Amino acid sequence: VSWLTRWFRRDDPDRDLADEIRFHLDQETRLRMDRGTGPDEARQGARRDFGNVLLVAETTRQMWGWTPMTLVDDLKQGSRRVRARPATALTAAAMLALGIGLATSMFTLVDALVLRPAPFREPDRLARLSLRSGHSGRMAVSADVLSAWRASPAFAAVEGTTSATSILDTDTGPLVTASARVTPGIFALLGVRPSRGQAFDRTDGRAGSDGGVVLSEDLWRTALGADPGILGRLVTIDGTRARVVGLMPSGFRFPDWNTVIWQPIDYGAPPPALIGSRAVPFVRLAPGVPLADALNVAADVGRRADATITADTQVRTRALAGAELDPYYTHAVPLLCGGVVLVFLVLCANVVSLLLARLAARQAEFRMCTALGASRGRLVRQALSEHLLLGLGGVVFGIGLAWLLLSLARGFLPAAFLVRTLHPVELDGRALAVAMATGLLAALTAGVLPAWMGTRSDRTLTLAAGQRSGTENRAARVLTRTLLVVEVALASTLLVVATLLVRSFISLASVDPGLKTDGVLTTWLVLPANNSPDRSSRLALTAALDDSIRHLPGIDRVALTGGLPPEGYSTYFDDEWQADDAGAKPTEIPIVNNYYVGPDFFELYGIPLLGGRTFLPGEDPNDVVIGERLAALLWPRQNPVGRFFHQGKDEYHVVGLAHEIRLPSVDANRDAPQFYQPFVAGGSYVFMNLRCVGRCPDEAVIRRQILRTVPGVNIVRFGALSEVYREELARPRAAVALGSTFAAIAVLAAAGGLFSVLTFAVGRRRREFGIRVALGASPAQIRRLVLGDGARVAALGVGIGMAASVALARVVASLEYGVTSFDPVTYGVVMGLLATTTMVASWRPARRAMRVDPAELLRNE
Amino acid sequence: MRKRLRHQNRIELLQGTLDMLILRTLQWGPQHGHGVGLAIQAGSGSALEVDHGSLYPALHRLEKQGWLVSEWKLSENNQRAKYYRLTTRGKQQLAAERSRWTQLVGAIARIMDPV
Repeated sequence: VSWLTRWFRRDDPDRDLADEIRFHLDQETRLRMDRGTGPDEARQGARRDFGNVLLVAETTRQMWGWTPMTLVDDLKQGSRRVRARPATALTAAAMLALGIGLATSMFTLVDALVLRPAPFREPDRLARLSLRSGHSGRMAVSADVLSAWRASPAFAAVEGTTSATSILDTDTGPLVTASARVTPGIFALLGVRPSRGQAFDRTDGRAGSDGGVVLSEDLWRTALGADPGILGRLVTIDGTRARVVGLMPSGFRFPDWNTVIWQPIDYGAPPPALIGSRAVPFVRLAPGVPLADALNVAADVGRRADATITADTQVRTRALAGAELDPYYTHAVPLLCGGVVLVFLVLCANVVSLLLARLAARQAEFRMCTALGASRGRLVRQALSEHLLLGLGGVVFGIGLAWLLLSLARGFLPAAFLVRTLHPVELDGRALAVAMATGLLAALTAGVLPAWMGTRSDRTLTLAAGQRSGTENRAARVLTRTLLVVEVALASTLLVVATLLVRSFISLASVDPGLKTDGVLTTWLVLPANNSPDRSSRLALTAALDDSIRHLPGIDRVALTGGLPPEGYSTYFDDEWQADDAGAKPTEIPIVNNYYVGPDFFELYGIPLLGGRTFLPGEDPNDVVIGERLAALLWPRQNPVGRFFHQGKDEYHVVGLAHEIRLPSVDANRDAPQFYQPFVAGGSYVFMNLRCVGRCPDEAVIRRQILRTVPGVNIVRFGALSEVYREELARPRAAVALGSTFAAIAVLAAAGGLFSVLTFAVGRRRREFGIRVALGASPAQIRRLVLGDGARVAALGVGIGMAASVALARVVASLEYGVTSFDPVTYGVVMGLLATTTMVASWRPARRAMRVDPAELLRNE
Repeated sequence: MRKRLRHQNRIELLQGTLDMLILRTLQWGPQHGHGVGLAIQAGSGSALEVDHGSLYPALHRLEKQGWLVSEWKLSENNQRAKYYRLTTRGKQQLAAERSRWTQLVGAIARIMDPV
């Protein structure tokens, strides 16, 4: 039994020590009684001799050194203290949680978008290749190039993909999904395996082989009812039956973030419908071959295999998935991350002043503890353990908040944000580690300083004097004011940036696109090479397409064009533009969006012609219509209709002037002047512009009609034009939403900080105010005193914040549209907002100070 | 009067000697804190009286250093008491402190009585 007692006893060293001392006293008492002393006197004598029991116990306890039990004890006491004054503690924990939650969710997002390496085997040896010569580039290569690269020693493996959109027939109707044709070895190249079933065989994808298909687990669950007998089941994709051979895990996002169907293709010997398909090449570098060498080899080998690859063509690597990082990402992502850091700092600063105020209210308690023999270190440890506890609470709630924010983000993030993600956006171990780390960081930054300063008690003050209060302790005063200045400065910087983003967004959203986008569908098709080998067969197919779509119910007009709004067919013109004015200098207009359009294009889009006429059937190819911007560049303030101009070696005759089309984009290169040439059908690309009567027909209906008319046609793009314009605004909108949220949090936190610091200061200075009133100060003067205190801090903070935002201007500039970084309206708005906030936050403390009654105060002294 | 005399006769313990005395006392077998105090007092002919404010911290410190181990046992009058026992490392420590003590006493004696 003794080991059992020991086991239970071992857990409580404090009780052991008390027992030990009690035994000592008993023993001593007994000894004295043996010598003939009376029991009471013996007991008292023993106690007297022993000295201060508490002190001996405490000194003995210190011999134990630091054990985990000490921390547990401290935390226990800490939680008792927190429960005793829950309001400020909860506020502090909530602020920490907000900071941690924001930081964690932002990290998760950036981690999925940018930071994390591709979830494939040895991702640094993997690359996506593209060809580039001069201004033009090619993302896909022919089957010959693919097999030439396969044979070269530079690469261990070369595989290809072609992205597409497919219609999957389900029990509830047709479903439009993102799909891909892939070479059978693609999964092995990436080092991924199906979670069920198997990948493709080497021979899959050749003409005549059975079409197997791999689906994503997500698709299997949502669209196919998680059918347990899925492997081997026949599904209908784009009207063709295919046997399901495997399921990929739901985290697999390749080659696009939303690809859910993979079908095999052998680019060298594809089934008839896919003849002429080109492959986006993915390679794994051969061991020991440096990337630069491999790319040179690829260019050489490619030139020999494909005559269209010219001598100046370079082979480049591109991001493994999704779009390239465009300027919007490269500027917006760091800016938003910076915003999160600033908000985090503001919240930490706020927590520091809250905790200081909290500890200051406990000065009397600390003095009492010091008087009873507590060392300064002990008090600091106690305060710190309370703050760690708050940090812990912050982490727990912060993780919850991050989870909530990410669920929201997944629902509302524009596809434009997700297009690059190879990883699902969700809380994982890394995110939790970041939450812990930020929590610890926050608890330390926000906890140590207050614990150190707040536990400093003035030894010259007696316990009784502690009940009274004079002005604030100087160090605390300096610290809280400095923190406030920092908070206000950070908040005003954030507010300036957010206001600039809002102003830019308003300018972007109010851009008149110059054409009616509602009720317009646009599609880009590539005719299959096998049944449209020459121009006449392509003309016949194009005419058939035009006819079959035109007669679909719900379709009003159809226009065939080269290029679709808003960016036209091609963009770059290297040669100079020469107007026909005598003495006109050649103009360099590097970026122009050109379109090949028919007679009905302008009417379909509701683009007004400001002069001249639209195209006639069979128009001369050198008769052109130009937009207002191009006209202004060539003939400033003159009527361009009927004029001539040279572009390179071609001479053009302007027959019409069209209202300008604008693309609301922060990237000025994309919103280029327009240049229209007459459309001639017969190419392998078909661009269709459809105007609907009222509501547009279902996407799947139109896709089916297209596929029925021209089997094997590749629908590269299909969608509502208004959606394209909406997408254009999606990222600025998201940036505005995030930026404004950050600014709002920072401003509210700063206002809260100002309020609590002033309230606290007024509480401490009641005596001073009482004396001032007794000596004849008017309440208005007292109010001015407090308001002035707040205003000085705010003014200093706003000043510093404004200076910081001017320094930041260059970073924000790339996200601006229609405003500059030195926009006076923005600065005016920010100053006005912060001045109002300061007044609102100082008003109540000032009124409290004003109402100090000296008579009552003196009675209480 | 008697009390003041007693105090005058008491010798302050030299810094660092308490540890050695405790270890030495425990050489004769396990003992509880009160017993250690009594043993030192009795052994010195009541010349040394151990301050309890330093006895218990010292016992706990020695235990933490691994020179003593403790065990709860029943005392001679059937009370639960914490008994301290010397460990092997404690015995080595005692030997070391003892030889240092002998050197110190010898050195001081040579200075005080040079002949």
